[in-house]
Amino acid sequence: MDRREFLKLCMTMAAGFTLFGCRSGGLTDKLSGPALKDFEDEVRRAMAQMKPGFRLVKVPMPGEMKSSPADRENRFGMAIDLDACDGCGKCILACNQENNVPLVSESLAKQGRFMHWIELRDGIPTMCFHCSDAPCEKVCPTGAANHTPDGLSAMMYKRCAGSRFCGANCPVQARKFNYEDARSLGHAKQFNPQVPLRDKGVMEKCSLCIQRLQNDRMNFKANAGLAAIAGAKSGLAGITGAKSGPAVGTMSGKISWRGKGLQTACAMACPKHAIIFGNWLDESSDLVKEAKVRNLYAPEGIAKLDPSVVYMRGRR
Amino acid sequence: MIFRILLYIGLGLLLPGCAALGYSLWEGPAAWSTDVRTFWGTPVSLFVFWIGIAHAGTLISAIFLALDIHLDRRTSMLAELTTLCALVVAAIFPLMHLGVLENFYMVIPFLDARENFANLRSPLVWDFCCIAIYGILSALFFVIHLGSHKFEQLKTLRKPMAWLLFPLVLWVHTIVSLDFAVTFVPEWRGAFFPLYFIAGAIYSGLAMVIALLAAEGRRIRLLEKIMMAFSWLMFLFWVWNFALKGDWSVSAFIFGALLPQLWWVSSIRENTIGRIAIAFSAILGMWLERFFLAAPSEVAETASNFGWIDFGLLLFGLGLFLSLVAFGRIRLRKHFDGDDILIGEVEVALESESASAPANAAPDKTTTLSILRFPLLLGILVTILYIVWATSQSFFDTFDLPVVSLIPIVYPLIALVAGIALCARNLWEIAPRKLKLFFVIGVGMIGFAAGAYFAGGSSAEPVGEISGPKPNTSDPALSTSGLALSNTTPEALWNARCAACHGVDGSFNEKFVREFYPLPQKLSAGRLDSLGEDSLVNVILNGRINMNPYGGRISREEAVGLVRHMRALAGEDSIAGANSLVGTDSLVVEKSSAGEDSL
Ligand code: SF4
Ligand code: SF4
Repeated sequence: MDRREFLKLCMTMAAGFTLFGCRSGGLTDKLSGPALKDFEDEVRRAMAQMKPGFRLVKVPMPGEMKSSPADRENRFGMAIDLDACDGCGKCILACNQENNVPLVSESLAKQGRFMHWIELRDGIPTMCFHCSDAPCEKVCPTGAANHTPDGLSAMMYKRCAGSRFCGANCPVQARKFNYEDARSLGHAKQFNPQVPLRDKGVMEKCSLCIQRLQNDRMNFKANAGLAAIAGAKSGLAGITGAKSGPAVGTMSGKISWRGKGLQTACAMACPKHAIIFGNWLDESSDLVKEAKVRNLYAPEGIAKLDPSVVYMRGRR
Repeated sequence: MIFRILLYIGLGLLLPGCAALGYSLWEGPAAWSTDVRTFWGTPVSLFVFWIGIAHAGTLISAIFLALDIHLDRRTSMLAELTTLCALVVAAIFPLMHLGVLENFYMVIPFLDARENFANLRSPLVWDFCCIAIYGILSALFFVIHLGSHKFEQLKTLRKPMAWLLFPLVLWVHTIVSLDFAVTFVPEWRGAFFPLYFIAGAIYSGLAMVIALLAAEGRRIRLLEKIMMAFSWLMFLFWVWNFALKGDWSVSAFIFGALLPQLWWVSSIRENTIGRIAIAFSAILGMWLERFFLAAPSEVAETASNFGWIDFGLLLFGLGLFLSLVAFGRIRLRKHFDGDDILIGEVEVALESESASAPANAAPDKTTTLSILRFPLLLGILVTILYIVWATSQSFFDTFDLPVVSLIPIVYPLIALVAGIALCARNLWEIAPRKLKLFFVIGVGMIGFAAGAYFAGGSSAEPVGEISGPKPNTSDPALSTSGLALSNTTPEALWNARCAACHGVDGSFNEKFVREFYPLPQKLSAGRLDSLGEDSLVNVILNGRINMNPYGGRISREEAVGLVRHMRALAGEDSIAGANSLVGTDSLVVEKSSAGEDSL
């Protein structure tokens, strides 16, 4: 065999090996989704493999975001009452169902790599804290991780290239990476049709139930806007019959949307009402009313980053 | 002959390597060992390792040339070849590291029609730019070196190019180190990281060049001495790091700092095998160091996760590198063996001190400067223009200090423009016909790619992509699109979902008419009728070009309602203005918040 032939042989073999590597695994398409029970079991398992907690330090009450662009009327967030929370884990399951969080395979579960957007760490529910000065967003090369004016750290799944830099840079490891194609493995179930299933290779995390916020905002724009037109046409000021519609706040005479009455899935699921969702800039929201009389805490790693989600403990 | 053997060894390593590469491309990041905390793993460490080796080659050739330290042709050529091959290898790993490989182009800091812009604050973007530019300029440098064999006018370009590359080498590796240094991972933080990275890069690169030179039958004592100096530097860094943070990886320390000290034993130093062993020990030490760096938490656990895929990737890198170097060396042997002395090079007999050669043929600094002046000015001008353009993009309104985040790519941009301006004319003159044709075609294709990038992809879901459970959009139970009201009228829906772009009355929203390309379609009655209800409903549900799909958010019935509403609006074109005057007025409030829709 001369050299040329040998080289040719090597080339074909290299190509063949590459293809061979590509071939193995992942070809099983299970279309029947998992049952709710599988999700419950997984939550139980994640709680059994509890991760260590963070040191909590005191933080001031979140106000207007310092980073731009910041909305002056809305900054959504949550406060979690650690005195009330008993670590039952119901919020995890509720979040999984609301946001179609998939199951993981055995190999990942063993390493503690669950996709759950809420984790119990030392018995304390921990999700993304929606830092206004978010380090994860700063290092995202494509801008898939970005901030909304009303205080959410959002993810654009279609723009994500999966560099996982954001995950490395989150001080509390709130981000979850889709190591596997949950859909083709039959690990995903679309409980909620309004939230897309994520593709393999993208990052995800707590979205503060952005779909609920957006729907409410749309609802407001559709109906309050029309009501305003109707009101203007018939000479009536403001809206009167909006009781069944979204709650509306006013600011400087104009009608504006403040997200009143909204609840995130985890907040709704908590039997102890330990999770309170609300608008930090709305003085009349339950969130602000409660937070005013409590001591607020956040994990040490993000305390300086102006988080929108905080813990409450003890009364002031 | 020795290179032929190396080629076969390289190809032999490549085979299992390719299997590992293919498998990990298929399987994604779950295939190799990744750190539980940082999500990073083998490819990142291999990338940092190979990029380090890629730096030493040009460093040796360019910096020595710039500083009038003379190297013989074989050494400098080999060093440059090493750089190019290591860069090719290094470029593969960050790509395969990505979770969504096909989205890699989103890292390019160039605008698309929807005003998506790469996040210029991210070190990964800096990285991408710097390394791409470094690769282009290193290739140019190498081509000039090859060409100066035959064409006189290229010789004068070598030194200016060397001066451009000298800072670039240091700059680029500083940027690579910023990948780690700017993060919140405790093990990665530290102001000394850039220095540490550069030292490590030069160290491993020198070791690689020394090992390859041994294959060439050469020995350059100067390089060995520099390598030993760097081994001491690394030693100090490790001790310092230990004192600072308590991190300590014994194996890296032994191979990287202790074993190379055997060089001081003369019987080992004088033995070719001994020298190669020392070089490999240094390379291994630096690789281990990179490996523990990328996966900082639970070092022991990560090491036990190190599976055959990781080994395969390691072999792949090594195999590809060896094959490329050996192949290049064999193909270009004419150029390596040329016995004429080039500027900045002197023929050195085997085992002779290279540094003692007299600096006879070096052109003085003034000519270098005069050659460089115009390209440099051009580079600075283009860079300033780019920065002004980039910071004027609306994306930059979303964070503070945009200009600072652009600094890392300033010098590489200047160097790129200057380097191309420097070589373009001369290379064009000497290039053969066929090459020119290829070049023109290449430029055309780059232009085409840029255009395609700008236009952006369609937002419609690719058909058949959803294989799993799919929301049933026609299920009446889900039909209210999240709008809690049962009496949502098409008009209300239109105002909520569509008016932001298409306007309340069906004419454009002024804002988007200016900023969008392609423009939203004019909803004239004729056009709507010619398209028909069905296809319009499909556009609403599945999206088209820049129109987002609303399939998961509104039901088919609602879409039909929207289309009829649209038609009604279009029919009233002439009187719409009069009728909706009041409406548009009171909706000013809404328009101001329209931007929030694009979340
Ligand atoms: S908690 Fe982590 S993921 Fe959430 S915004 Fe902060 S850094 Fe980002
Ligand atoms: S706010 Fe929503 S997304 Fe975030 S943890 Fe709670 S349920 Fe999950």
